[in-house]
Amino acid sequence: MLCQICKSREAELILNSTINGIKSEFHICKECAALFEHQLSSLALPQFNLNDLLIGLLSALDFYEKEGSIPVYRKMICTNCQLSYEEFQKTGKLGCSQCYQFFIEKLKPILIKLQGNHQHSGKIPHNMINANNMRKEISKLKKELDNAVQKEEYEKAARLRDEIIKYERINKVR
Amino acid sequence: MKKNKAEILERLLFSCADWIHGKGPFSDVVISSRIRLARNLENIPFPARANHLELQKISNLLNKGFQENIVFKRFNQLFLHQLSSIEMRFLMEKNIISSYYLNTDHAHRFCIFNPEETLSIMVNEEDHIRIQSFSSGLQLKKIWKKIDDVDNEIEKKVTYAFNEKQGYLTTCPTNVGTGMRASVMLYLPALVMQNKIGDILKALSKLGYAVRGFYGEGSKAMGNLFQVSNQITLGFSEDEIIESLIKLCSKMITQEKKARKYLFNSDMEEIEDRTWRSYGILKNARIISSVEAMELLSRLRFGVELGIMSEIKRSCLNQLMFLIQPAYLQLLFGKKLNENERDFQRAAIIREKI
Repeated sequence: MLCQICKSREAELILNSTINGIKSEFHICKECAALFEHQLSSLALPQFNLNDLLIGLLSALDFYEKEGSIPVYRKMICTNCQLSYEEFQKTGKLGCSQCYQFFIEKLKPILIKLQGNHQHSGKIPHNMINANNMRKEISKLKKELDNAVQKEEYEKAARLRDEIIKYERINKVR
Repeated sequence: MKKNKAEILERLLFSCADWIHGKGPFSDVVISSRIRLARNLENIPFPARANHLELQKISNLLNKGFQENIVFKRFNQLFLHQLSSIEMRFLMEKNIISSYYLNTDHAHRFCIFNPEETLSIMVNEEDHIRIQSFSSGLQLKKIWKKIDDVDNEIEKKVTYAFNEKQGYLTTCPTNVGTGMRASVMLYLPALVMQNKIGDILKALSKLGYAVRGFYGEGSKAMGNLFQVSNQITLGFSEDEIIESLIKLCSKMITQEKKARKYLFNSDMEEIEDRTWRSYGILKNARIISSVEAMELLSRLRFGVELGIMSEIKRSCLNQLMFLIQPAYLQLLFGKKLNENERDFQRAAIIREKI
């Protein structure tokens, strides 16, 4: 879109204004925005809302599905909280922890688009730390430790070493 | 735990959150750092889908856990159903509760927060549990440590909704994984004056960071304040998310400082003039809107940070950003004020403080 003031450069900013209660939006370029100089700090930020992005994604992905299969999964329902996939598409909000299992096949591509990833690698609740993922965690930390040592990040390495000792201790107790 | 509503609100009205002193690292550019965690309990529907009995169950369970845990002994507790809409807005202005919380049904919802006003927990917000913590300047690591500890305390009494694949499960898939949103409030007047901010904001969103205004999601940039936060919550550890946000902020701090130095050398007279003019208006105005006040306070802050004006302290400016908010003013005057009355009282408070 061209800048609405100079009508020659590409518009890069949106200026929202309310005059006598009438709201209007101007698309303007940086150069023209500079004319407003000291008012620039009150310019609208790109109105960005993660949830809107998600809802947009949900309907976009729907569009690419084979026609025949759409009604089938739209009617899918989480047996724990009775949320249907169709409702989730509208609000972008899930109903309970079990929705993640019921809708997982549909959620995976959304998570990849939204988060660039679908595998958690952060904190684990203490009561979930069983021997199995503890071993996984320790090997992950050891890799990070090697990395840190190679990069001579000794402060980080020391922290990782302490972490590994902590996990190995818990593992032994169990 | 303290529960007397009148007492708690009275104290809040005259107290300052501990991070307002403005003495944290890089406080000349970073106003505050914040981290919030989203947590849910296993199997019980998330708040928006839970019925009254389920909400009550969660509320009681968590309340009992807080009451019995010595860690929360010093905390204040307020139930939403006890509060008027102005009192709730006041808590939002104080950053103790979220704007989402204001618009929920009030039954079976409560918040607890520490006397320093740096850590608060909301029950049955968008998720069953929301923990958030603030600090002055750039101190995300310190906040994470604190929030991590509190999270561990809560977990002793409940089973969190979690699986190995998606991590902590949340109402909105945009929070799933760590459930963590880390954000930093940056004061970037020089980058705004040099018209560099547009490019920077664009680059940030390409890098996977969200930029918001002073009031959080959906709000506009005001007073040269920008809140930068991570968008991605899944696939990276909490430390990695924090580390990369710190790196990014450090770069922005360097840029802002460079721009300030440049302006200081090239446009000294203009900046001096702007600072003193802003001071003149703030010191003398009888009627002032919150938008104008935020803008002038921002200009004044620039003068303070550049050493043009030494009489005014950063902590005073930080405090004023909150004191001039609508609900704050109304509680302070003990009655409902219309917009004109607020503009009048706001001007009076500003004159008194600077």
